[in-house]
Amino acid sequence: MYEETLVALTVVLPPLAGLACFAVNNRSFRRAVVVLTALLLVGSSIMIYISGGFSYEPGPSIGPIIEGAIFLLDAVLLVYFLFSGLKYGSFLVMGLTVLQLIPVLYFELVLKGASATPAILVDKLSIIMSLIISIVGSLILVYSLSYMDEHEEHLHLEKSNQNRFFFFMLLILGAMQGLVFSNNLYWLYFFWEVTTLCSYELIRHDRTEVAVKNSITALWMNLVGGVAFVAALFVGFYFSPNSISIETILSNAQSREMLVLLALLAFAAFTKSAQFPFNKWLQGAMVAPTPVSALLHSSTMVNAGIYLILRIAYAMSGTTLSYGVTLVGAFTFLATAYLALNERTSKGILAYSTIGNLGLIIVCAGINTSISYVAALTLLVFHSVSKGLLFLGAGVVENRVHTRMIEDWEGLLRRLPFTSIIMIIGMIAMFLPPFGMLIGKWVAIDAITTSPILSALPVIILVILGSAATSVYYIKWLGHLTVLPQDGVKLTQEKLPILYSLSMLSLLSLSLLMAVEASMVINNLVIPALPSDYILNARYLFTGGLLSVETGFGSFLTYPFWVVAVIIIIIGTYIARNKGGLVKGPYLGGENIEENPSIFHTTADREAKVEVSELFLDHEVSSSQFLSISTIIATILLMIIFLTVIL
Amino acid sequence: MAELISINTLVSVLLVIFAPIIGGLLMGIDRKLTARMQSRMGPPVLQPFYDVIKLWGKQPFIASSLQPVLAFGYFGFSLAAFALLAFGQDMLLLIFTVAVADLCLIVAAFNSKSPYSNIGGKRELLSMMSYEPIMILAAVSIFYNLWAKTGYPSFMIQRVMDLSTPLLLSLPLTFLAMIPVLIIDMKKSPFDVSASDHAHQELVRGVYTEFSGYTLALVELGHWTKIALMLGFVSLFWATNFIIGAMLAFALFFIVLVIDNSYPRLEWKSMIKTTWIVGFFLILANIVGLIARAVLGI
Repeated sequence: MYEETLVALTVVLPPLAGLACFAVNNRSFRRAVVVLTALLLVGSSIMIYISGGFSYEPGPSIGPIIEGAIFLLDAVLLVYFLFSGLKYGSFLVMGLTVLQLIPVLYFELVLKGASATPAILVDKLSIIMSLIISIVGSLILVYSLSYMDEHEEHLHLEKSNQNRFFFFMLLILGAMQGLVFSNNLYWLYFFWEVTTLCSYELIRHDRTEVAVKNSITALWMNLVGGVAFVAALFVGFYFSPNSISIETILSNAQSREMLVLLALLAFAAFTKSAQFPFNKWLQGAMVAPTPVSALLHSSTMVNAGIYLILRIAYAMSGTTLSYGVTLVGAFTFLATAYLALNERTSKGILAYSTIGNLGLIIVCAGINTSISYVAALTLLVFHSVSKGLLFLGAGVVENRVHTRMIEDWEGLLRRLPFTSIIMIIGMIAMFLPPFGMLIGKWVAIDAITTSPILSALPVIILVILGSAATSVYYIKWLGHLTVLPQDGVKLTQEKLPILYSLSMLSLLSLSLLMAVEASMVINNLVIPALPSDYILNARYLFTGGLLSVETGFGSFLTYPFWVVAVIIIIIGTYIARNKGGLVKGPYLGGENIEENPSIFHTTADREAKVEVSELFLDHEVSSSQFLSISTIIATILLMIIFLTVIL
Repeated sequence: MAELISINTLVSVLLVIFAPIIGGLLMGIDRKLTARMQSRMGPPVLQPFYDVIKLWGKQPFIASSLQPVLAFGYFGFSLAAFALLAFGQDMLLLIFTVAVADLCLIVAAFNSKSPYSNIGGKRELLSMMSYEPIMILAAVSIFYNLWAKTGYPSFMIQRVMDLSTPLLLSLPLTFLAMIPVLIIDMKKSPFDVSASDHAHQELVRGVYTEFSGYTLALVELGHWTKIALMLGFVSLFWATNFIIGAMLAFALFFIVLVIDNSYPRLEWKSMIKTTWIVGFFLILANIVGLIARAVLGI
């Protein structure tokens, strides 16, 4: 009864709250409903964490009703996709939908294959996912209450569309929870398609031409994954006709049919996690209002793909398929890092960074050892929090400065100090010690180097080169954000709506707290979520002291690093205070003009303008060429993987 | 607690304290040797120290309010990285800590919107991009070597120090790959793109342009520490005997000076290409060699 309530609260409550928001398009009502739902979500996911996991099978009276409802909703969903394809004249969408609709009808009505016991299975992996979805997702939801008000004010809408917006935002949270709790492969597929629907609707929310175009791209790319998933349903049915329980199916031996199933699911996961060659849709998704990007990138949608990969990875350990998965991830990590170097917009950089980091997680999942699993989950947990934080900050900046170009972010530290500091910490948290993402990357390097050496070498090269470019694009951006031009602008504290500061501060504290206690996060959250065969070995390797993260191959001094970093900042500030100094204009190779530092006197007293532009490597790495070449390579790679599985 | 006061710990603490001084002395020796190679007398060996002391006392001018903190950050994190080396800690963590130090210098250079220092900062960023992958790959080759030699793979520097055979004998190519890394870190020709000690820098003082007085002194201290750190890392290749290790590091230091005085500056693209191609080729060849030896049982 207790479990039933928790599942109902996390999976069913958000869509219901969404419906309420949809029906009553009223600001105060919406605020009350969203905040209340957020609180209940966080509360119930913590309760699920405390419960430690359970399985749940709906009783004979309610079971058939749920199954019928899911089938009905799935059919309606697919028909809706069909109409969307028709409406925008996309034969691709229609074709891919038909390829799902007919098999699904056959599967349900003729084979009657869609039952599984237990229907709901909540294990430690689901719990981690659920915590991420509930906590990070809820904070983003609360943030978007303020964001959408500003957004619509900026667009001068006559009638608010926020009811529609919050319906899909809430729906995707519920669908994600359902996705990670389902043990029925068909249910998992259903929730998978619901997240596709939500992303499609949220991306086209503003109904501009670009938004519609990009939403169609997102739709067809995700539908490709959906078709693979439907194929996987049939293979799953072949294995266990009476109960398509994921747990049962994955415990089969590694036969060729089994590998086909795993390959299909991995393929579906690649589309959802926007791995090359399916990276385009997530890149296009940035036309949506920023909270949408925040939600899709950090706690939902792309994490669905990662969840699926992590769920199936253990079943494919030791196979060529597993190594293929690693290669796709590593290639994506490298390619996105170099593409991000030439990206001009804040959200574009963040999108590439997301795809790249997901690639790194997939690398670790493919390596398939206890230590690589730890790396994958650590990266996943820390990525959600840091990326959420970065998008929230980027959204505030966008609404205040009305530009996404990072070159226009100069002097932000004076104009928006609070948001700038959020962004700075968020960026540092993505790639520098002593933050969690770097700890994850550090464990990942240990994981790669301890895998069989000949297969490890190509992966390590891809990862090392990718990681170098990652540092470059983040430092470059960080440099822009911290520029203090002498334009006479005084330091002013920005006035932010309470929901902004509340959500950003909560996420910031979470990020810092988790980074300081990284060892605890790994030992208490990550390791229990490993496949049971790996836990013992991981416990043996990560004999973490309180002060550091130990892998058995190296030691990451978290606490000492924090102490040293704080001491360095204190001494640095003390010296700066004590020695001080007059702020002087930069050296310009001519005569500075005190009143106006943006021009100077050059030869013959002519006035010249000071211009400093950003580092872009357009001449060296042409983005469009690089993108098409990478897409071709990735497609070939995927084809090779499939051929090796089938042959 | 007994471990805390052991001789080894004492040596490590002393090493950390003296790291900037060792680096400073090396800078003095560098100037002397370079002068001799150019048939000049050169300044006294202690000249860098006189310079820094004088800089510290100069009337302070800063380019932005963040600059002094970042300048100290460059020094502080370089020293922290040195401490990781002296205490035999994780090699990867050491490389990442150096990245934090580099970040402080680069962001400080960007900070004041000065054209010269900005371009210097960008080039420093590209320098970092060239040598960091090589450092990580070198650490990986050391990791594999420990695996082959002792049966236990590890990134811990302490384990390298405990080896009974010098690293150089099994990783000669990795050692050679450290030459371009050292050239970049010491800001020597042909890779002195971000700033140069010689008076032929087209970007005024490159990444250092906007530092003056005490902030320049701090950056100098950071640079010394970083050089001491890189040479200390190189000396690990003969960790069985401290003297030979130090001589090995000094030999590499001398090679870098000779190269500095024989080659003109290359542009940054050539820097990345050369460092990556040479570095990856050498270290990978060395790793393949390790595998071959393990397979053939030699």
